[in-house]
Amino acid sequence: MTISVAGPLDQGSLRAGVARRRVLRNTLATSFVWLAVAVALVPMLIVIVYVLRKGGGVISAGFLTNDLPIQARSHQGGIGPAIVGTILVTGFASLLAIPVGVLAAVYLSEYGSQSRLAGVIRFLSDVMAGVPSIVMGLFVFTIWVLRFKARSGVAGSLALACLMLPIVIRSAENILRLVPRDLREASYALGARRSRTILMVVLPAALPGIVSGSLLAVARAAGETAPLLFTLGITYAKNFKPTGENTALSAQIFSNASSSFPAAQTRAWGAALTLIVLVVALSVVARFVASRFTVR
Amino acid sequence: MIRLRYARAATALVALSLGAAACSSNSSSSSSSSGSIAASNTAPAPKVSGTLNGSGSTFQASFDQAVIEGFKKDQPGVAVTYSGGGSGKGKTDLQGGVDQFAGTDSLVKDADKSKYTNGLLYWPIVAAPITMSYNLSGVDKLILDAPTIAGIFQEQIKTWNDPAIGALNPGIKLPNTKITPVHRSDASGTNNNFSNYLKKAAPDAFTLTAGDTTNWPADEVAGNGNPGVASGIKQTSGAIGYVDFSDAKASGLVFASIKNKSGAVVAPSLDGTSAALSTATLSPDLTYSPLNADGATAYPIATPTWIITAQKYSDANTLAALKAFLTYIYGPGQGLASGVDFAKLPDSFVQQAKAQLIVLSAA
Amino acid sequence: MSAEVPEVIERRALTAPQRAIGDFVFRYLTVGSGLVVLVVLALIAIATTGQALPLFHHNLHQFLFSKVWNPQAARPQFGALGFVFGTVVSSAIALMLAVPVSVGIALFLAEFAPLRLRRPVTFLVDLLAAVPSVVFGLWGVLVLAPWIRHIYARLAGWAHPVPGLRVLLSAGQGGGGSGRSFFTAGIILALMITPIVTALTREIYDTTPSGQKEAALALGATRWEMVRGTIFPHSRAGFVGAALLGLGRALGETIAAALVIGSSVQVTGRLFSSGDSMAAVIANQFGEATDTFRAALIGLGVLLFIITILVNLIARAILGRTEVL
Repeated sequence: MTISVAGPLDQGSLRAGVARRRVLRNTLATSFVWLAVAVALVPMLIVIVYVLRKGGGVISAGFLTNDLPIQARSHQGGIGPAIVGTILVTGFASLLAIPVGVLAAVYLSEYGSQSRLAGVIRFLSDVMAGVPSIVMGLFVFTIWVLRFKARSGVAGSLALACLMLPIVIRSAENILRLVPRDLREASYALGARRSRTILMVVLPAALPGIVSGSLLAVARAAGETAPLLFTLGITYAKNFKPTGENTALSAQIFSNASSSFPAAQTRAWGAALTLIVLVVALSVVARFVASRFTVR
Repeated sequence: MIRLRYARAATALVALSLGAAACSSNSSSSSSSSGSIAASNTAPAPKVSGTLNGSGSTFQASFDQAVIEGFKKDQPGVAVTYSGGGSGKGKTDLQGGVDQFAGTDSLVKDADKSKYTNGLLYWPIVAAPITMSYNLSGVDKLILDAPTIAGIFQEQIKTWNDPAIGALNPGIKLPNTKITPVHRSDASGTNNNFSNYLKKAAPDAFTLTAGDTTNWPADEVAGNGNPGVASGIKQTSGAIGYVDFSDAKASGLVFASIKNKSGAVVAPSLDGTSAALSTATLSPDLTYSPLNADGATAYPIATPTWIITAQKYSDANTLAALKAFLTYIYGPGQGLASGVDFAKLPDSFVQQAKAQLIVLSAA
Repeated sequence: MSAEVPEVIERRALTAPQRAIGDFVFRYLTVGSGLVVLVVLALIAIATTGQALPLFHHNLHQFLFSKVWNPQAARPQFGALGFVFGTVVSSAIALMLAVPVSVGIALFLAEFAPLRLRRPVTFLVDLLAAVPSVVFGLWGVLVLAPWIRHIYARLAGWAHPVPGLRVLLSAGQGGGGSGRSFFTAGIILALMITPIVTALTREIYDTTPSGQKEAALALGATRWEMVRGTIFPHSRAGFVGAALLGLGRALGETIAAALVIGSSVQVTGRLFSSGDSMAAVIANQFGEATDTFRAALIGLGVLLFIITILVNLIARAILGRTEVL
């Protein structure tokens, strides 16, 4: 694209040239954005199709409710105990991590934007996000499992909650910060106290973002195996209690998919499909509920 | 109620000890055959209840699972679980009191024995061959020996038509394909026994470290677990790796026969493993090593594996349940071994193990 | 006016104490929750460092500066450098792949998508987050690695004439390798951290004041110029927070990395060759480790801790605004 410099600048062609460049950049950016979506979603669809192909055939009511076969090579049995275990262990971990995480995020964004303690906590929760999941499991093994001389669902939940906490805190804080200041100021102007403002105005405005972050944390916890290796153990029958050894879908996927026996492998992929469906269903429901309660 | 429970446990203990005493006194006179030993057992043990949690070696996991399933029919009141995770994990869990028993393919170091505050007992249970599985189209029979295997895994022998391999396999046409050795990415008892075999049988050729982990050359393929090595072999033409018998069979792999110390060429099989075990001596603490066995039918790469327990248990129910479980392993359990591709123990081993049952006592 | 003031103050004085207590309680509830993070992390740091102590008796200098990892030798050697290298390289690759893609998807959902595509694509991103990490690892080693090694081989062939790239885009013996490599691990990690970075970034983009966006468009900006002028500046700090969270996930991912990285520890410029990372080796070797070996593995965990702290400090320093992050 040339601009003739001899003589007065031709305003028309200059403007047209710049306009063309801007349109070109816009088109490039738009194509890049569409390409990014494809690049992420194509491998994901390939993985999902793979899981469906390898595990779809084995799903049935019996598969989802029957007890685990004791022998991994057996074609009988199902993954009932694993489903129970995942719901129990991940559910309890969420009950621990999400309230604590959201309250901590509230502290960081509402009360602590200038305080040094808040800065330290913020920094440390970023560090906590980088702790390997297996180290979390070993940590809970040392302070809980060895203390009580038994593996249990509670121990597994503790390990998962440690994993979830930084995700909840950082994502919730990010969103809370970005709630427009006018909302808060309007609330104070009406005479509301800080806690009321936060509970009635700020949190509802940030709800979709908080739900988003919490769902990510729950999805991570439901899919992790390493923290459960030292804390959960195994059970062949369904265990609804927090005490006593338990098992989870992620653990069953790992131990069965790495087996040479075809029956174990199909069971693993059936469990993988079940887990994905469970987490997605939770996401859909949670986002729907959040959209009802939000205030924008 | 409590008194009734203790009474039942006490009766079980007495019955078991009487049974054990009767068995050990019978075996010294009868000529061994497991059938007659089972028949000379006393009447079925009274029902016990309790929970036995175990973890440890994944090598023995499928045998443990078969035993747990069979034992459940015998003693439905005892809940037994075995969660794998590796011999080191099993040892740590037993030390910490988190497990009542553990599975291990390797022995506890002497320096560590003091950590087992309630004592430590070894219980050999089964053994199985480690196969040299390979993927080479057109070659279904192969003979290897320890120095050659060492050379392959140390990348000194690089192609299949190397003269060293050709010398062991006269008459077989070996292609010029590059050899891709496949080893374990995770620490394991299988790696421990395989590398120790190479160290024992080819001490000059094998220069790497033997143990749960070995410093294999960096650009070989590494697989996670026995099934990972198996799939690594299947994915690459010209690959060779060490896989336990059960997983090699389940993955449809072809394996090589090994020339042992006496010069005999033996294919991996349960009989070959039993032959190797029968040449091994069982120490008083029931440890032994069948590696590099010699004999016309002995397969030289056989892996031993043990259950380890404490010596003293404070809970009477646990003690009774454990004794019943171990008794089952040395009774009907041995019969289950071949069904899951493990070799049962020689009768002399079984006798010595059963004699150790009496050492399990209340704290 | 002067008559009303005492009334107002009186009314305030009556209601203030009750409300103040609620406020007080709430405030310290939030502080307490924040302190939980502190306490848990301190416990983790103390417990893991305590268990890693035997390593200090053994040979700390070797741990920090040697590449040789030979735990079962007669004189065991525990050098962590190879694992640090693997962690850093695979996480860097993951970030380089995931960040542009996540920004793209987030922009798509916030601005560029036709309305009826927004829900489905959000759903698909949720689906990506729902896939368990172990499934990604298994798919990686069973499907991706055997397929991608052919692509690696071709790339290695193309890069051969170029001196710098010849080393970078190759595997151990100059070819394509087995597919299990730093780069493959980077791809799998990128797939795993994309949902986090995307979802958080998207939320942040959505909070850009619409007044600013509309003003930019009214002034004649193209869509891209509006994005560059209003959304990006507004979201910079939050976006870095999201990226740091994704990086944390990549650094700490254990099972998936362990399956596809190749488990052959080495320090090399060849991205298509096998390597090992700290989290992966802990997962692989912990099951059989006892005493000093165990302490060394836990020491790797402590080292990863320290590296995460350093990375976070550097990120803050680059941004220059410590209080906003």
